[in-house]
Amino acid sequence: MSKQGEWNRREFIVRPILWAGAASVLGKADVLLANAVNETTPGPVLQRTLGRTGLRLPVVSMGVMNADIPGLVRRAYEVGMRHFDTAAGYQQGRNEEMVGRVIKEMGVRDQVVIATKQPSRNLPQSIAEAKKRFVEGVETSLKRLQMDHVDILYHHAVDSVEDARAEGPLEALQTLKKDGKARFLGLSTHKTQDVLNEAIRLNLFDVALVMLNYTMAHDTGMLGTIERAAKSGMGIVAMKTQAGGTVKPDPKLPKELPPASQTALLKWALNHESVTTAIPGFSTYEHLEQDFSVARNLAYTVEEERFLADTSFAAKAEFCQQCGACRTDCPRLVDIPVLMRSHMYAVQYRNTSMAREMLAGIAPGRGLDGCDGCESCGAICRHAVQIAQKIAHLKALVGAQSLSC
Amino acid sequence: MMCATLAAQLVQAQTSANPEHISLTPRHGTEQAQVVTLLRPPVPGRASAKEAPSFYKPDNLYQYIDGGADIYLLYDFQTLLHQDFKSGGTELTVDIYDMGRPEDAFGIYAAERSPAYKFSRIGAEGYQAKGILNFFQDRYYVKLSGSGANLDALLDQFAQTLSGRIGGVRTPPAILQDFPRERRIEHSEQFVRKDPLGHAFLAPAYVAAYAWGRQEGKLVISVANDALQSKARLDQFAKHFKQSGECVAAPELGEGGIRARNSYEGRVMARTKGRYLIALLNPPKTGAEILKTVAQNLR
Repeated sequence: MSKQGEWNRREFIVRPILWAGAASVLGKADVLLANAVNETTPGPVLQRTLGRTGLRLPVVSMGVMNADIPGLVRRAYEVGMRHFDTAAGYQQGRNEEMVGRVIKEMGVRDQVVIATKQPSRNLPQSIAEAKKRFVEGVETSLKRLQMDHVDILYHHAVDSVEDARAEGPLEALQTLKKDGKARFLGLSTHKTQDVLNEAIRLNLFDVALVMLNYTMAHDTGMLGTIERAAKSGMGIVAMKTQAGGTVKPDPKLPKELPPASQTALLKWALNHESVTTAIPGFSTYEHLEQDFSVARNLAYTVEEERFLADTSFAAKAEFCQQCGACRTDCPRLVDIPVLMRSHMYAVQYRNTSMAREMLAGIAPGRGLDGCDGCESCGAICRHAVQIAQKIAHLKALVGAQSLSC
Repeated sequence: MMCATLAAQLVQAQTSANPEHISLTPRHGTEQAQVVTLLRPPVPGRASAKEAPSFYKPDNLYQYIDGGADIYLLYDFQTLLHQDFKSGGTELTVDIYDMGRPEDAFGIYAAERSPAYKFSRIGAEGYQAKGILNFFQDRYYVKLSGSGANLDALLDQFAQTLSGRIGGVRTPPAILQDFPRERRIEHSEQFVRKDPLGHAFLAPAYVAAYAWGRQEGKLVISVANDALQSKARLDQFAKHFKQSGECVAAPELGEGGIRARNSYEGRVMARTKGRYLIALLNPPKTGAEILKTVAQNLR
């Protein structure tokens, strides 16, 4: 095994697969990377089918949320983007107004796939009231968009199983589809695993908009769920693919990312074949061109490989590779890999209940309750993860006392 | 002024066991301690808090407003205080965004407002629409929303109370006075912290929309540190148009004047004035005069 920071290309290809534990998911990347140096020449725009909708889309689309700039939408269309994603909540509807105005001016409504999103308000209300509010919200969106229908209508920010199965919005979505105001129905979520599993079960959604980026490479549960959803016929659209990189890097990532990082991160997400398209939220022409360049070849360039293989980046991105080598370092035999996974849920996915659930499954004395009293932590990660720091962070987030069972 | 400790006690007293709600302890920033005092009792309309306040930071604002968070991050969002209240049959949600700087509070407020709203004199500026009242003042962007029979009155009372407690700067950024009034679309002015007009090198900038008959355009004032930097910005702007369309020198427009166009941004004329770059998008026939007026206004 090579030393830290000295990975060769083969290891680079293999390691993400090990992290993810999902070789099939990254299989295409493996093939592409085998000849990366010679195969990064731009080709025709890659297109994929969005699940059961049958819509063919370029793999890079436009998340319009950051761009109150008509020229960006026009340029996005010029370069070949055909899917534009907005929401009722972006700039209180002004984003929809701008998208609608530009598409109308350009006269290309029948050439593009427009998605918008409607949240359901978390109010004490009857099913009928919730349905009415949702329908009214969508009708207001259509007025702002100057369209009689959208192609994809998402139930926005569905972040619990209860939200996914809420009857008011579900009835509203079906009514809107029946009335021709939405061609296809979807949901957007940050709680991918729970919500997608429920969406698969409900079998009512054509599309799912999910967060997917490199900082999630080792979350086998989530990656597997995305794959299952795609196999069930749901079209998968990826968001936050660059971990906030084009807007403001995720606090977990280094503040200054190298230029290759944006395309590398976007390619990483798109090399999951279950993903049809991604909606990066660029706000400059430079980033637009950069992001769309990815649509012509998903093979990593040498610079991109180097970026993704950078162990210090991986460490800052909070990767625990679950190798288990640190277990023997701890005199109290604390189950450090599980604590690292719990930390991932609590911090990266902001899902403290999942973290608590995972912690509760650890044998007594091997969890956070077992980790105390040492003046300094003897556990050293072979891959530069800051174990002691993360455990302290986890304790602060979920509270050690409640987890000692 | 209420000290951080008292603020912490106040919040802790209200905090439930719900893990989504954060109790304010000394490890939390002073911004949180400051912002929470804005909702200290008594609040108007004998409203009672339905639950303890929640706080959101840049790394978890997505949890609350999903993809809408991105634009707040562009304006260097610091902290959000969120709390729900009930007054009789009326429900009210208070969201106070601490943006760190008055220009950023104006920036995010302006990014979300529509010139079509009904504006009021609350704070530095505010507006009311169905079920909402939003305003900005000093470093805060305040968003109130709710439902119920007496909502409008409750919104107004909360807004007045919060405005009084915020104090500080109650005017929009002074540079907006330098934008010509004639043909300007009221309430279209914006402050763009990052990537104005889709160009990172123009940041930060102030923008306003104009209507010349049926033709609409935008006037942009990009604020650089000095004259050298504004010239560099203009050079980069010119280079962009040379690459994507066409660009010619236009000395009649003043310092470094250019006229440019491409297929997706349309026509542009621009010049510098000291540390400012002034650009007019989709200009009318009188565009040169407008640029001259702005240059004269800028000191």
